[in-house]
Amino acid sequence: MKAISCYVLIILGGWMFLSSFQNPDPAKISASNFPYKKAGLTERQAAAHLLSRFTYGATPAEIDEVVKQGLENWFQKQLIAGLPDDTLESLLANYDALKLSNSEVLAIYPKAGQTLRMAVKDGAIDKDSVKTNKVQYRQALDIYMQQKGLKPQRELTRQFISQKILRAAYTENQLQEVMTSFWFNHFNVSLTKNDCSPFIPAYERDVIRPNALGNFSVMLLATAKSPAMLYYLDNFSSSANDKNTNLRSRKKAANPDNQGKMDSLMTKLQKAKKEKGLNENYAREVMELHTLGVDGGYTQQDVTQAARVLTGWTVFPSSAYNRTKGLNQNEDRLEKRGFIHEGDFLFAANRHDTGKKMVLGKSYGTTENGYQEGVTLLHELANHQGTAKFISKKIAVRFVSDNPSQMLIDRMAKTFLDQNGDIKSVLITMVNSPEFWSAASLREKTKSPFELVIGSVRSLKAEITQPYQLYNWITRMGEKMYAYQAPTGFPDRGQYWINTGALLNRMNFGLALASGRIPGIKVNLAALNNNHEPESSQAALITYSKLIIPERNTEQTIERLSPMLNDPKLTEKVDKASNATSPIEKDQMNVVQMDPKPDIKTRRNKQEAMQNSVGSNAMLAQVVGVIIGSPEYQRR
Amino acid sequence: MLSRRGFLKSGGLALFGVGLSGGIPAFIAQAAAGTNLVLPYKKKKTLVCIFQRGAMDGLMAVTPFTDTFLKEARPGLFMSAAQNASGKPLIDLDGRFGLHPSMKSFEPLFRENRLGIVHGIGSPNTTRSHFDAQDYMESGTPFNKGTASGWLNRAVGLLGHDTLTPFTAVSLTSAMPRSFYGDNPSVAISNLQDFSIQMRGNQSGANMAAKSFEDLYDKTASGLLQETGKESFEAMKMLNKTDIKNYKPANNVVYPTSALGNSLKQVAQLIKMDVGLEVAFAESNGWDTHFNQGTENGVFARNVADLSNSITAFWNDLSSYQDDVTVMTMTEFGRTVRQNGTRGTDHGRASCNFILGNDIKGGLVHGNVQPLAVENLEDGRDLAVTTDFRSVFSEVADKHLGLKNDKTLFPDWKGTKIGVMKT
Repeated sequence: MKAISCYVLIILGGWMFLSSFQNPDPAKISASNFPYKKAGLTERQAAAHLLSRFTYGATPAEIDEVVKQGLENWFQKQLIAGLPDDTLESLLANYDALKLSNSEVLAIYPKAGQTLRMAVKDGAIDKDSVKTNKVQYRQALDIYMQQKGLKPQRELTRQFISQKILRAAYTENQLQEVMTSFWFNHFNVSLTKNDCSPFIPAYERDVIRPNALGNFSVMLLATAKSPAMLYYLDNFSSSANDKNTNLRSRKKAANPDNQGKMDSLMTKLQKAKKEKGLNENYAREVMELHTLGVDGGYTQQDVTQAARVLTGWTVFPSSAYNRTKGLNQNEDRLEKRGFIHEGDFLFAANRHDTGKKMVLGKSYGTTENGYQEGVTLLHELANHQGTAKFISKKIAVRFVSDNPSQMLIDRMAKTFLDQNGDIKSVLITMVNSPEFWSAASLREKTKSPFELVIGSVRSLKAEITQPYQLYNWITRMGEKMYAYQAPTGFPDRGQYWINTGALLNRMNFGLALASGRIPGIKVNLAALNNNHEPESSQAALITYSKLIIPERNTEQTIERLSPMLNDPKLTEKVDKASNATSPIEKDQMNVVQMDPKPDIKTRRNKQEAMQNSVGSNAMLAQVVGVIIGSPEYQRR
Repeated sequence: MLSRRGFLKSGGLALFGVGLSGGIPAFIAQAAAGTNLVLPYKKKKTLVCIFQRGAMDGLMAVTPFTDTFLKEARPGLFMSAAQNASGKPLIDLDGRFGLHPSMKSFEPLFRENRLGIVHGIGSPNTTRSHFDAQDYMESGTPFNKGTASGWLNRAVGLLGHDTLTPFTAVSLTSAMPRSFYGDNPSVAISNLQDFSIQMRGNQSGANMAAKSFEDLYDKTASGLLQETGKESFEAMKMLNKTDIKNYKPANNVVYPTSALGNSLKQVAQLIKMDVGLEVAFAESNGWDTHFNQGTENGVFARNVADLSNSITAFWNDLSSYQDDVTVMTMTEFGRTVRQNGTRGTDHGRASCNFILGNDIKGGLVHGNVQPLAVENLEDGRDLAVTTDFRSVFSEVADKHLGLKNDKTLFPDWKGTKIGVMKT
């Protein structure tokens, strides 16, 4: 409760009484707390707006629920993110990779090439069979992997992506998940980089999600020390030039790098070269993208100096790779020499640049503790005025509009600085600002493909048994999850998401989802309306528009669609056409691509999807599909 | 940022608009497929870039076969141009370099001086990470990770048009490639048939839905959605004029059924439809040959066969459009001179690339490849990078697309061009 009361202090700045958070009694929170009435919104409209920004989309009854418990209460609970998630947990229970540590991941899900080398080395596969007999070699490899308990890395990725889809669709703690996406994208790492990819599930789980509503400075430090980031932006390899290190310790220290057999001169040469280099990538991006922003007032000199400060920050070699190194036994000795080992992180003192450095006017390297220099640097960056503005703007762009006002940003930045980077406080300032509720912000944001897909699933209360099917659609619409290559992350503006190919795919997605043609995704449109069959297609249009796009002006949608529905022979036509259809063909292709054992599953999918579509009214499916593909539904 | 809106306003699609009700009369469609019809907008030159992901072994694709150091370093991989038992010697290009036998379809193009090769091409950044090297090559800034845009996206910005068509820049990939990142409009689509409203087999349902969508988007208050919606339906109709599924390439060309073959076939369709394609992008995968690379046969041979056959099919299919098209391949780096312990090669530095077009100084192996003695190698192990990739990319962009602004295209680059294009 103590933590909460400190957020309340900020709210006291005019909007809310202390008692309201300490005693969340709905009766005591007056509706005027969030300033939406001044913007001319009703409570229901405000609830719809709130849900559109802080969840992946409202489920049909959610507006009522939020109004009932009070908008502020709802928001507070979302900030605390402690709602029980039993449904989600049971759905995730079957994904066995999600709880693994990084070293367990490396041990169980080796890279394809690594598995092959191991199999050849162990004599399970004849080297030449790889060339000559593909089938035989594949089989031998499968058997080898089974015996050794190894699994292909794509299975790890598949579980990881599936959990994200399930989590976003079903978690009660929606804001935490939305913020997890936001910060992941801010501190982007990418599955496209091989070295980094096995560490990404744990990165999201251990580094991003727990900090998503916490403290910015803490999160920044956690990202800096994570294997995913250390590999993605190369800091793992960054070390001081020789003149700046303690040569004695360098020679004597057990080399922490994953060495394996390095007997050839060539490899040694290469390694020496690799180790010598100062790598500026992380130092540059931490300033440009993670904290200060490109116009944050730092120079190239600051980048180089910061890179020197961060030399020696690397990944602790996994025991799976390094059983023979005996590094563990030496830990005491290493510690004496200034090495620091925390989980997957290693500060390798022998690589650290011990010289004097100067970053943004502050000097480093004057004390003995090399690791602490980096911690201090990151703390300085996290609490810099430029960072406050840069982060506040990015949050405002995510939650208010593509072009938030400077006044709003300044107000949020002030909170950021006053509260030492407390993320909840910044969000509270934002949602208490008139800009958040202004007419200019309503429906101003364009849903990303992920938001569209998850939002649709939530709108239709769809049941997901094969999350990966949705992944295929999200990819096709232009958002390949966790695979944005550049450290900038996906751009957060409508223009990026909306282009011709993507837009048609959005429409096709609506049609496919509503008509039950996506395998592994069940929709029951009749149940959405308590199994009341609409009296006419016109009535269906009105009813379902209100269910799916609540508290919006749907008049235009209804008006534009009505002529289509008034064709007297319409239902007949649609039914006839859809009965003649084998609906799955296309998605079958996707299953084949993604699933290693497609045959049985596909047949099952096909049957299942057929069943889904049978019994639901084809006309209704078409109406709902068009609503989901409509321009109104692309906005939030 | 360029907008496509002007394109629609200018009536660039008027011709296709005819088709909305009844379809373009056959004789117009035929004329449009030829070259002579004066279209409402100027016919465009097209640059087709193919990224060979995984790092192609340039020394095996185009082998300096007289180099004894190479022969020694690659006892299990070296091939010669002399007739041998396999019956598949290297194709001797100029007495020094030999083309891999599986690229025999390239030979006539080389002899006709349409195909040029640059050897020793690569990045000044010495990273041997696939990810980093691809990233740097595609962003066009080998020392800056944070560059938000890709070089081909910047190229689109430099085309100098007030208006762009929905098909000015198309990547035949499911995800937007790094080369296309940026503010200028571009589309990533792996299958042109996705440019339609689909309800499998239920054509009348699809038509009805399409009409509903078109209407809704036409009337929406959001400028972005309205504009893009309009373009989407125009684009869809443009493509619907052609039977994409049953496309018949010219000259009885048969494309390989590979991903690349399929991509290039679709590029050819777009070019022939005259929908304003200027920058196209496709990918070829599987070049990371650490293991049993093979020689005349094997994985590398299959890869280069697919690459060369796909490109050659594309070129022959283009027929009368050839003058307007240049194809350029690229790969993130080359591979070690020495073969490794598993009859493959590891990550190296320089590789080679292929440029095909009628304005290429073809029939030549450009660049500078020193004898592969250890002292000539980069870090004592790799073919040295003697030609910066930006030199070649910028020259091709300049001479083929007329893009003179190297500062925008490749911000930190100040090198010279080596004359791979005719002047």
